[in-house]
Amino acid sequence: MDELRVNNEVKTEGDSIQYIVIKLGAEQYGIDIKYVDNIVRMQHITRVPKVAGYLKGVINLRGEVIPVMNLRLKMGLPEQEATKASRIIILKLEQHGIIGFIVDEVREVVTLSPDQIDKVTYDANEEKPNFVLGIGKYENELISLLDMNVVAAER
Amino acid sequence: MDVSQYLEIFLDEAKEHLENLNTQILKLEQEPEDTDTINEIFRAAHSLKGMAGTMGYKRMQTLTHDMENVFSEIRNGTLKVSANMIDTLFQCLDALEEYTNNIQESADEGTNDNQPLIEMLNSFLKGSNAPAKEEKKEAPAAAEAEKKAAADGEEKWKEIVLTDDQKHVFRTAKEQGKNTYGMTVYIQENCLLKAARAFLVYKAVEERAEIIVCNPSAQDIEDEKFDLDFSLIVVTDTSLDEILHAARNVSEIDKVVGSELELKDDEASGEETAVSTETAAERKPAQKTASAVPAKNDKKPAGKPVVNRTVRVDIEKLDVLMNLVSELIIAKNSLVSASSVEGVNSTTFNEQIEYLESVTTNLHESVMKVRMVPIESVVSKFPRMIRDLSKKLDKKMELYMSGEETELDRTVVDEIGDPLMHLLRNSADHGLESAEVRAQRGKPEVGSIFLDAYQDGNNVVIEVRDDGNGIDVENVKKTAIERGVITPEQGDNMSEKDIINLLFHAGFSTSKKITDVSGRGVGLDVVKSKIESLSGEVEVKSKLGEGSTWIIRLPLTLAIIQALMVTVGGEKYAISLGSIQTIEDIKPEEIKLVQNSEVINLRGTVIPIIRLSNVLEIESLKKPDENMVVVIVKKGEKLAGLVVDELMGQQEIVIKSLGKYINKCKFISGATILGDGEIALILDANALF
Repeated sequence: MDELRVNNEVKTEGDSIQYIVIKLGAEQYGIDIKYVDNIVRMQHITRVPKVAGYLKGVINLRGEVIPVMNLRLKMGLPEQEATKASRIIILKLEQHGIIGFIVDEVREVVTLSPDQIDKVTYDANEEKPNFVLGIGKYENELISLLDMNVVAAER
Repeated sequence: MDVSQYLEIFLDEAKEHLENLNTQILKLEQEPEDTDTINEIFRAAHSLKGMAGTMGYKRMQTLTHDMENVFSEIRNGTLKVSANMIDTLFQCLDALEEYTNNIQESADEGTNDNQPLIEMLNSFLKGSNAPAKEEKKEAPAAAEAEKKAAADGEEKWKEIVLTDDQKHVFRTAKEQGKNTYGMTVYIQENCLLKAARAFLVYKAVEERAEIIVCNPSAQDIEDEKFDLDFSLIVVTDTSLDEILHAARNVSEIDKVVGSELELKDDEASGEETAVSTETAAERKPAQKTASAVPAKNDKKPAGKPVVNRTVRVDIEKLDVLMNLVSELIIAKNSLVSASSVEGVNSTTFNEQIEYLESVTTNLHESVMKVRMVPIESVVSKFPRMIRDLSKKLDKKMELYMSGEETELDRTVVDEIGDPLMHLLRNSADHGLESAEVRAQRGKPEVGSIFLDAYQDGNNVVIEVRDDGNGIDVENVKKTAIERGVITPEQGDNMSEKDIINLLFHAGFSTSKKITDVSGRGVGLDVVKSKIESLSGEVEVKSKLGEGSTWIIRLPLTLAIIQALMVTVGGEKYAISLGSIQTIEDIKPEEIKLVQNSEVINLRGTVIPIIRLSNVLEIESLKKPDENMVVVIVKKGEKLAGLVVDELMGQQEIVIKSLGKYINKCKFISGATILGDGEIALILDANALF
C-alpha cells in the first residue's frame, strides 16, 4: 500500500528545505517533508459520528488507528469524489500526533532554497488563520507552502 | 517478624546498587574530579549500607560503612583518588557481591569479615587524617553500662515461670553438658521498628543457641505486643558472652543482660497449677523454634537457593509485549474470519485455529497478570494519613481497610492513589461530624471510615464509606444556586441523585470554612475526571445523618475486552460485553411513549429506548415495521435499550485509541481493528444515558 516511503533524514543543501508538492483542484501546495511519515492510496475510511465535517473518519495503517481529514474541506474548497490519483498523506505533527490528509494528487518532491521563497503579507484584519508560510517558485510554477501545524490546529 | 519477604527486593536492589557502583567507580577512575560521579557513588553506597543494616547483614553493613567513609572524604576533597584506592574499592565490590551471592544461596551473608579490605580502606582514611576509630571506643563503654544494669536486678528473665516440660529440657541439656542461660534484651526507647530489632536479636541468638522460652511469645514480639524489653532462656554449647555479644551487635539495642539459669526443683510443683493457662501459650513458640532449628541445619548442605529469582522489568517493555499480544489477537481474528469466508472445510485446520485461539487468550491473560499489582502499595499509606488528619482536624476517627490484595493493572494502580486520597480526606473533613455532634446523635465518639476493594466480574470496585453526616441535598442545591452552577428553576426539577452529582462539578465545594485539608473546590471534579480517564466511573450513595459511600468502578483490563459486535446502518460497532444485560427481540408496537421519549415495558420494568441510528446520525437499514433488536445495557442500577440493526456475534477485541485529535465524541470510547482489517468503533454504553 505504501507508494512512497519517505526517509526523514533527507539531506538538505544549506538552508534549503524539501517539500512534497500536492494538488488540490488547480492549486499546488507544498508540505515540509520532515512531517511526512507515509503516503498511501485511498482506502476505506471508517466514519466517526459527531465530529467536524472535514474529519472523514479513521483508517487502519498497519495496525494503528489514524484520523483522516479532507484537506479540500479544510481549505474551504468543495468536496470531490476520490479519483485514482487521490492519496492520503500521513503526517507526524509535533502537537497533534499522526494525522492523515486526503489530497487530490501527490506530484513530486522539490528542494527550495530561501531565495526561491516569497514571504506572504497578510491583512491584519483577516480572520482566516495563516495557513500559508510563503510562496515557493519552482520552474515557472507557484507552490503555496503550508504550515501543517496551523492547518491541523484550527478546528 | 519475618524479613524474608523483603529478601527478594533486597537482593534485586543490592545488585542494582552494586552494578551502579561498578560503573560509577570506573567513571571515577577516568574523571577523579567529577563531583556528580562521586555523589552518585556516595548515594549508592549509602543506600546499600542502610539496606544491609535493616536486613541484619552486619558484615556487609560494616564493609559498606567503611567504603562510605572513604567516599565521603573524596567528596569533601580531603582525599585524592589514587589507582591503588580504585583497586581496593573494586575488591570491596567483589566482596560485597560475594555477600549478596551467599545471601541468595542461603539467606546468610557468610562468615568472611574481609578484615584486610577494611584495614586497607581505613589506611586511606588515616592518610587523610580522618579518625575512624570512634565507634570502637563506644563499644566498651556500652558494655560497662550493661554490667551495671545487670547489677541493678534488671534480669527480668528470672521472673519467667517455667513448665515441667521446659524444666525437663533444661535438665537433660545439663546432663548432656550443655549450658542454659537466661537473658533480657532492652531496646532503645527511640527505636522505630521494635519488632524488627527484636527479631534480629532473636535470629542472632537462634544461630548460636536453641531458644526454649521466649517472653513475651515470639508471636507477640512479631506483632510488637511488648514494651521495650523481652527475655529469652536458651540452651547452647557456646559461652554466654558470645550470645550476649551477638545480641548487642544488633543496632538500636540499649542493653542485654544475662546469666546462667539455676533450676530449683521445689519451685516446680508449687507453681505448676497456677500458671497452666499461661504456659500453653508459651509452649507453642518454644516448640516451633525447636523444630525450626534442625530443619534449617538440614537445608544448608543442600545448597538450594532460598529465594526465587525475580526480574524487575521496565513497564515500557511490558507495554511493548502487550502491544504484540494485541497484534497477535488481531492476526488470529483475521485468520478466523478468513477461514469462515473462504469455506475451508478441513477439520484439522479448524482445530488448529481453535487451538491458536486458546493459546492467544491464555497468552493475553498471562501478560495481563504480569502487569497486575495489588492495590496494597497505594492504600498502605492511608492509615497513617488518617491518623495525621485525625490530629489536624481534632476529630477522632478510625480507618478500616479490606481487600488490599485486590489486583489491578499497574498503570491504574499508579493513578488511583490521588483520587482515593481525595475521597478519604473528603470523608474525614466533610463527612464525619465533630465529637459533640456525634454524641448528640448517639453515634460512637470515634468516626469510622471504610476502604473496601473487591473484584466484581470484569470490574474492580473500591468503596470509600463513612458513618458521618452524609450529603445534605438541600444544602448542596442552595450552594449550587448561589454559585450559579444551576438556576433555582433547574434546582426544583432535579432529582436528589442529580443534585448529589453536582458535587463533581468543577469549582464546587460546600464546606463552610476552607481548611487546608479540603474545601478548595478542587478534588471531586478531579477525582471524577481521573477515574473516567481510566475508563472507570464513580458514584455516590448517601443518607443524611447516616453517612455516605463513594463507589469507584474500574475495568480489570484496559487493552483487550470481550465485545458484542453489532451493525447500525451498515456500519460495525462494538459494545463491551461487561455492560450488556440481555438482548431482546421487540415488536415495533411494544414501544410506548412516556414524556415524549420512547420506552418499553420489559417483564415489568420500564426501560428507555435509544435508537443508535439517531445517535450515530446514520440511516437504519431496517424497515419501521420490522422487529427490532434491542441490546439492554446497564449502568450502575439504570437500564437502557439500544436499538441496533443486526447482531454479528461476540469477539475478543483490542482497544485502540482514536488519538487525541478526535476526542470530541463522548460515546465512542475507542476503535478496534477487525479480522478483515476494517475498523469498528467501540460504543461506550455508559456515556449514552
